[in-house]
Amino acid sequence: MRARLAVAVAFVAGVVATALLARARVAIVLVVCEALFAALAALWVSPTWRAAHPVATRLAQTVMTVDALGVVSAFVSTSVNGNLEAGVSMTIVLLGLSFLTGSSGQISLGHGAFMGVGAFAAAIWANHHAHSPIVIALLAAVVAGAAVGFLLGLPATRLRGPYLAGMTLAFAVAFGSILNAFSSWTGGDSGLQLPTAVSAPRWLVDLLPPSDSPLAAATVWLSQISLVVAGVALFAMSNLFASRVGRSMRLVRDHDVAAELAGVSLPRARVVAFVISAAYAALGGALSTLVNNSVSPATYGFALSITILALMVIGGIGTIPGAMIGGLIFAYSTSSISWITARLGLNPQGNLASQLNGIIFGVLLVGAIVAAPMGIAGAGRQLARRWRERHHLRAN
Amino acid sequence: MNAFLTSRPVSDILTGVTNGVVYALVALSLVLIWRSARLLNFAQGAMAMIATYVGFVAIAPHANYWVAMVVSIVAGCLIGALTERGLVRWLYGKPELNPVVAMVGFLLVLESVAAAIWSTSSRGLPSSFSPIDWQLGGRPLALSPFAAYEIVTALLVMGFIAGLFRFTKLGLRLRAAALAPEVSRLLGVRVNRMLTIGWVLSSGVGAVTAVLVASNYFTGLTPTAMDGVFAFGFIAAAIGGLDSPGGALASGVTLGIVLQFVSDYVNANDVILVALGLLIVSLMVRPNGVFTRDAQRRV
Repeated sequence: MRARLAVAVAFVAGVVATALLARARVAIVLVVCEALFAALAALWVSPTWRAAHPVATRLAQTVMTVDALGVVSAFVSTSVNGNLEAGVSMTIVLLGLSFLTGSSGQISLGHGAFMGVGAFAAAIWANHHAHSPIVIALLAAVVAGAAVGFLLGLPATRLRGPYLAGMTLAFAVAFGSILNAFSSWTGGDSGLQLPTAVSAPRWLVDLLPPSDSPLAAATVWLSQISLVVAGVALFAMSNLFASRVGRSMRLVRDHDVAAELAGVSLPRARVVAFVISAAYAALGGALSTLVNNSVSPATYGFALSITILALMVIGGIGTIPGAMIGGLIFAYSTSSISWITARLGLNPQGNLASQLNGIIFGVLLVGAIVAAPMGIAGAGRQLARRWRERHHLRAN
Repeated sequence: MNAFLTSRPVSDILTGVTNGVVYALVALSLVLIWRSARLLNFAQGAMAMIATYVGFVAIAPHANYWVAMVVSIVAGCLIGALTERGLVRWLYGKPELNPVVAMVGFLLVLESVAAAIWSTSSRGLPSSFSPIDWQLGGRPLALSPFAAYEIVTALLVMGFIAGLFRFTKLGLRLRAAALAPEVSRLLGVRVNRMLTIGWVLSSGVGAVTAVLVASNYFTGLTPTAMDGVFAFGFIAAAIGGLDSPGGALASGVTLGIVLQFVSDYVNANDVILVALGLLIVSLMVRPNGVFTRDAQRRV
């Protein structure tokens, strides 16, 4: 209760600060929006309101997260914004994989390739329809991802864990050749360039202090788009986790025979999980394409798929905070590793420095699955429970 | 006769068999572990690759090819035993996804460490067999001394494993421990030791495979040399059935031949696509493999 109140008060304070700092006329619209969000935050503090309106609670949480990060993104440097965008795209991918594993108990070693499907679908769409809105390109990527996910998910109707994992691994290994087979569409080894860079709208440029370069406004705009898309994905996923579909899938994961007896169609549940998961991965890939303004097949190799798996396990399987932690780790992995390289005095072009990423992620992945299979989110939850119990005991 | 032996389909079959025996060896190696531990070893290729590096680069860089090969096999067996004792032992009895994740993580560690120590550039192994095809009546037969060496070595390994399982007491214990661990333990079989021996055998087979792959003049030894071979080997094992060693060998060789025909008549780039398609279709039609008798899964 007290912690939630603190969050809400901090949020309202942030809103007021934004309103004071914003200068352009469009700021009034923003202030109204922020006031609405603040009202939502105030409602969110009340436990009875949260109990009575679960969907609105999730909406409030999503809106507050997205809005807080959105405000932050306007005040931080271009490189931090770049990290934010990378982390947000990866969070969406991780939400998808987490849903697959956490809800239906399947695993994919090919989510890097699903991400690639979305990335290329968005780029191909943008190249054929240069003036269509971003939303359409993202939707095209989602549809493409869902279609490929359906195709690969079909065997999942009859398969169990390790076989399916091997099949997705084969997909990840084959992805480069698949792209090559359609090289007239995908541009072969060199990949694709987007026809136009995503540029910031006029009002945002006006809103930001004039000292900032136009590049910074564009960066902020990309962050805002990423955050809003991620917010939509997050809201949908949190509802899905709690919905009838999510519950029936957890039953499939925990006891498939019991699920069947309870009237859940196993093949359908497994394929649906696969389709949703692939669509999320594709959305994340498409978003990163928009941010980078180009797409190259080398990015979406098998290594990326393992990295995604590692991020999910380290963050925490099957939880939304786990996916966010994974995204955060991804966003700062490159800079942390170059920091470690510098600290250890390694040659940045040397063999060890270039492999440090793989070594660290691999060791963390093995260590996490052996010692802490629920990842950071699971460990955090356990700590919080222990702390609450002790607190409770003292209060009594 | 000469014209027939050098014709296009026969050439494809010969090349296909040469590729296929390698897939069959990888599949065999996966089946050996799957049968005893119900675990799909995703790090199989990487473990074998490390063993080859240890034999040919770390311990015996200037030695005779055969000495280095023996060192590699011994190293492979050791790596298998260490992996089972040090890592896999922690995973028995956990949900079936945990070993998958752990072995994928192990794969990443092994490949990164190999690249950190020995760099990603390719090394040739000094095999004494020529990769140039024999000539038959002025036309090339799609079989070189090196290909013959590959096939013969693979057959020897397969024969060794089959003989071990069929004709020795150790083989009987290994089979018993895999099929009915509780009963075998009561009858005095040391099931844990049998599991370790299973990993030793599988990794030994893997080391031979990696030496064969890396001895190929065109690929050489790189930290990721086994990735593609592993994918094909897994596809062969899954099509044949992870429970059936004979099925794994047969489908490995068949897969090699089919893919060679695809590569020759369609497009070399589409080979992995066709393999993926075959895998999906075969898993949908017979999820437990073509060569496995249907069994009810225990709940």
